[in-house]
Amino acid sequence: MITLKINGLPVAVEAGSTILEAAQFLGFPIPTLCHMEGLSPYGACRLCVVEIGEGPRARLVTSCTYPAEEGLVVRTASARVVRARRMVIELLLASCPQSRTIQDLASAHGVHQQRFRQEHEDCILCGRCVRMCEEQMMAKAIGFQGRGERRTIGTPFNEPSAQCRQCGGCIYVCPACQLRCTYNEPDKAICGACANLPAPCLEKEGAADMLCYMSPCVACEIKR
Amino acid sequence: MSRLSSLSELDELRRVLASAANPDQPRIVVCAGTACHASGAGNLVRAAKQHILDHGLVGKVALRVTGCHGFCEMGPFVLTEPQLAFYAQVKEEDIPRVIAATLAGKYVDDLLYRDPDSGKVYYRRDDIPFFKHQKRDLLGLNQRIDPIRIHDYIAEGGYASLAQVLARRDPAWVVQEVLRSGLRGRGGGGFPTGRKWALLARQPSGRGKFLVCNADEGDPGAYMDRSVLEGNPHSILEGMVIGAYGTGATEGIVYVRNEYPLAIKHLTIALQQARQLGLLGTDILGTGVAFDIQIVRGAGAFVCGEETALIRSVEGKIGEPRQRPPYPVEKGIDGRPTAINNVETWANIPLVFRVGADEYARTGTPNNSGTKIFSLVGKIKNTGLVEVPMGMTIRQVVHDIGGGPSGAAPIKAVQTGGPSGGCIPAAKFDLPIDYDTLASAGSIMGSGGMIVMDENTCMVDVAKYFLAFLKDESCGKCFTCRKGTQRMHEILDDISRGRATLADLDLLEELAGVVTDTSMCGLGQTAANPVLSTLRYYRAEFERHITQKRCDAYVCRDLVGAACQAACPIGTEAWRYVAHIARGEYAEAYRAIRDANPFPSVCARVCNHPCEEHCRAAAAGSQAVAIRLLKRFITDRTDPMSYHPERVPTDASRPRVAVIGAGPAGLTAAHFLSLEGYPVTVFESEVEPGGMLYSAIPGYRLPRDVVRREIQSLLAEGIELQCGATLGREITLDSLFDSGYQAIFLALGAHKSLELGLPDEDAEGVIPSIRFLKAHNVRGEALGRGRVGVIGGGNSALDAARTALRQPEVDGVTIFYRRSLAEMPAFREEVEAALQEGITIEPLTSPKRILTREGRLTGIECIKNRLGEPDESGRRRPVPVPGSEHTVALDTLIVAISEGSDTDCVSVAGANRVEVTAAKAVRVDTETLLTNRPGVFAGGDVVTGPNTVVNAIAAGKRAAVMIDRYLRGETLVREPRPRLPERYVGLPATAADEAAPSGRVVTPRLPISARRRNFREVEAALTEEDAIREARRCLRCDLAFTESLAPAPEESAARTGGAQ
Repeated sequence: MITLKINGLPVAVEAGSTILEAAQFLGFPIPTLCHMEGLSPYGACRLCVVEIGEGPRARLVTSCTYPAEEGLVVRTASARVVRARRMVIELLLASCPQSRTIQDLASAHGVHQQRFRQEHEDCILCGRCVRMCEEQMMAKAIGFQGRGERRTIGTPFNEPSAQCRQCGGCIYVCPACQLRCTYNEPDKAICGACANLPAPCLEKEGAADMLCYMSPCVACEIKR
Repeated sequence: MSRLSSLSELDELRRVLASAANPDQPRIVVCAGTACHASGAGNLVRAAKQHILDHGLVGKVALRVTGCHGFCEMGPFVLTEPQLAFYAQVKEEDIPRVIAATLAGKYVDDLLYRDPDSGKVYYRRDDIPFFKHQKRDLLGLNQRIDPIRIHDYIAEGGYASLAQVLARRDPAWVVQEVLRSGLRGRGGGGFPTGRKWALLARQPSGRGKFLVCNADEGDPGAYMDRSVLEGNPHSILEGMVIGAYGTGATEGIVYVRNEYPLAIKHLTIALQQARQLGLLGTDILGTGVAFDIQIVRGAGAFVCGEETALIRSVEGKIGEPRQRPPYPVEKGIDGRPTAINNVETWANIPLVFRVGADEYARTGTPNNSGTKIFSLVGKIKNTGLVEVPMGMTIRQVVHDIGGGPSGAAPIKAVQTGGPSGGCIPAAKFDLPIDYDTLASAGSIMGSGGMIVMDENTCMVDVAKYFLAFLKDESCGKCFTCRKGTQRMHEILDDISRGRATLADLDLLEELAGVVTDTSMCGLGQTAANPVLSTLRYYRAEFERHITQKRCDAYVCRDLVGAACQAACPIGTEAWRYVAHIARGEYAEAYRAIRDANPFPSVCARVCNHPCEEHCRAAAAGSQAVAIRLLKRFITDRTDPMSYHPERVPTDASRPRVAVIGAGPAGLTAAHFLSLEGYPVTVFESEVEPGGMLYSAIPGYRLPRDVVRREIQSLLAEGIELQCGATLGREITLDSLFDSGYQAIFLALGAHKSLELGLPDEDAEGVIPSIRFLKAHNVRGEALGRGRVGVIGGGNSALDAARTALRQPEVDGVTIFYRRSLAEMPAFREEVEAALQEGITIEPLTSPKRILTREGRLTGIECIKNRLGEPDESGRRRPVPVPGSEHTVALDTLIVAISEGSDTDCVSVAGANRVEVTAAKAVRVDTETLLTNRPGVFAGGDVVTGPNTVVNAIAAGKRAAVMIDRYLRGETLVREPRPRLPERYVGLPATAADEAAPSGRVVTPRLPISARRRNFREVEAALTEEDAIREARRCLRCDLAFTESLAPAPEESAARTGGAQ
């Protein structure tokens, strides 16, 4: 067992656990996005950052990947963590505002403004779908292409994949909800399974008074 | 080559090689590094081989083709042995002469390197400043070694360190030695190499361990790793084998980018040869040690220089980092322990063992031992690779080795560490170069790129450039790096286009902090450095982009438009009239000039032409278009009376405005106010209007009748002039308000020469410059007698000196200036003209005492100065040299150190209650020109102190706008707007032969003999032919903005036809 301190509270966890698991054990909430139980830790969304160490050597690390170390001092909601987390959410909101997951994150963390030029991207490249496809569905039908600005997710050479069994797992785990869904462009659809699955934000239909940050909501428009 | 099966066989081989070598053999060494290859080294090698064969010189003179020596600016070059003569920028046809001279032990003087400033010839390479100040522990070997011959390396002591290590049979000692040497990772992070090795040595060796040489050099402008790999690949291999012995590593990998074909070639050959000799492989030198090295070629993604991404790339996966821990030293390539060091780190290892750890640690500073190679590029005279001990100051590298700026503009900053680094401003050039100091200054050492930037560099643009690079090169895995770099670039782009707000700047800073804090790998964690470091030192420059919409370096296109127009204080569309001249449309050209400037003929003669300073033709490598001379060409052939601007009709109900002072500022304000329909009265204390134009600027620069004619045309309508009315005597501000004026513009000028502050300054024969010039210009009195001395280095000093020289009773004129000639604030052409006319200038001389007899000047005692540290103006401060006092006999002494305003008449203490500064200038809001009294505005020299004519006109124009707004009851301050070209002027129809490039036209001047003792105008106008040719040199920056306004083709054909 390894003993570490989270927000002043000592906690003992099994060797090999991550800070995130330890914090969840204690009940300290840490928001996550690219993290998903059953998928390998990836550390891409930077939302789960926590502060470790003290004094000038204190730094932010992603709790989903950082292993619990003996005597580690962790702060899950220090001013530095909150500042970073809110900026990450603001950046997410600026790129992909139609995602209900992101809207909920913004709401939960009191991010009420977005100061960048608004974009409407359908993917935040969190890689959940890629890991789902590879690690749970054993298909490896999709992967990342390109780098930097031109990074996208797709099948090899963007051809329909023989490995894809159209299971819909990628859509099921997608926090941006539009990722694999090319429902309105069937030619480009990888699987077409999205027609059978409700998009995460659809439940608001019929509840006109429900809060939605976005107008127009891209998800709603595609479904319409 | 036979395999060496023991340590002694290696020693034997070296002995054989040494005995065969003849150090006195004449030899020519050609640098064939990539840079020299690009400038033609290949042809030199071919020519040399051919010459040696054709002339039967085989065996008499030897040829060695080597890797980079570092002085790439002078490539292709030839070094000779044993003389070590350095022939710079050699051409093929020079080779026979070089070979002949080398054989004879002589020199080819005209090809030797000479100092570009002093012209001094250097016979020995090591005396050249570029080489003299370096310590070339690593690069120095390059000149001795042909990289494809392992015997060259062995003869120079290569693999001796390895033999020493193997003989000792103590791996722990190896790690200990590296630790003791204090060597830190040269890739940029500065992690102690010995510590990394100790960590690797401690790892279990069950599945093997890796050593990696990181040769993924991707910083823009950095090529030191490349040069080491190309020039001396065996030093890397030897370092890695030593490392393998010390850490128990079993496999080695050199990760090199495919863009380095020569490096890969040399490395491949080196690996083959080392294996053949038994220096690599299963049984190294018969000791049983096994280690081999492979080359892995990278595809050139910048992020693959990051160690975890590099590992992924070596494994054959997408090169993107993963979160540490686990660190590569625990889990690296294929999950096995891996230590990754930079090329230069590996190259240092043999050196550490050759000289010993203690000796090695003596170079550099404590905690930063050894040398570091930098690639010095950008606006620097000596581009190239330099190797210096750690702890040398940036100033030494940039000025002593680099030779200072390559152009006229002074150096503004250096950017170190590539895209992840930061800028260090010139004011901090005394910082020593080491890991910790650079980090605390907001930059990083990085791999050693050093980009020198001069004043023509915009810091917003620099940050934008690096962020554009980083947003393309971010792997995109982690969100804050991918989106963060994109968003930072987006904001910087907005700033450079004048679309950002100050809130955006705060957002940029906030975002930069978060990107640094939360990114996964080194690329993201340092991606904000270009932003943070430029913001740290150049925040004001960012803010000026945002609030003033100005880019002071004239780089940001959307703010600058045409640089000539942006640089002009009154916004003259210089491009427009130049374009009209090129088309032969002289009336349109005059209108373009006169619309912006009520004193075109004056400015055509005496303007300091900031437009030419920023002309793109000069920045593009040619010379600036002679815009002022073109203006002169137009104004000389146009009568100012022929210009009829649009006027708002005036009537008695309009508010009246009083302007005090009929200089350029006052008359400009009066003119533009009268165009708006305001009745204006101008009060002037002298007998004639014109201010300094008339009373201070001598007639040989600005003829009286030109000034009179121009002023006459301005006074034609709507303006009443009252001469002989002095503020504080005939009129006061209160009396003006009482008599119905609703706004007053103070444009009194600066007519009071400052005093030296020495005793006896009131002696007969000591004359303040303004009094001297006014006496001459206004009253026609020549005050100069005998030997005349002038103190000062400004335009007023030059005017006084040249005027005195023309006076009948003057024997000779000497100017005493306290700094050096280069620092003189006077216009360059004025200084040149003065020297031509026979005026002596004594630079670095200050007066100490005024010598008098019976109240009459007899001379001055002077003291010599030397230049010390720069002061706040950036010029080097004069420091008196003790014991250098000497006396100069003089009959007249003109004091022209500066001028101040005579504001006693308006100040708070006086009756007019206008606030003045300590320097007795009127205090105004610089935006609105409003003084502390409502309705009272001020501008020109009375506010700024002595200034240029065009700045006075600019103040007058601004005052007219502000007074108009004031009288209309509008807000005075408006959102600034960049002045972009808005009118389309087509290109002239040129015949093919006319398009031939030509240099800048020579300023036509009266010959010296014709200038003696008279006040004839010195400068003449251009001929029509010259003017058109000069105008056609314009690069037409305006078209990028106005081309969309071009009329349709047939319409334009009709228009051109109509114009002719």
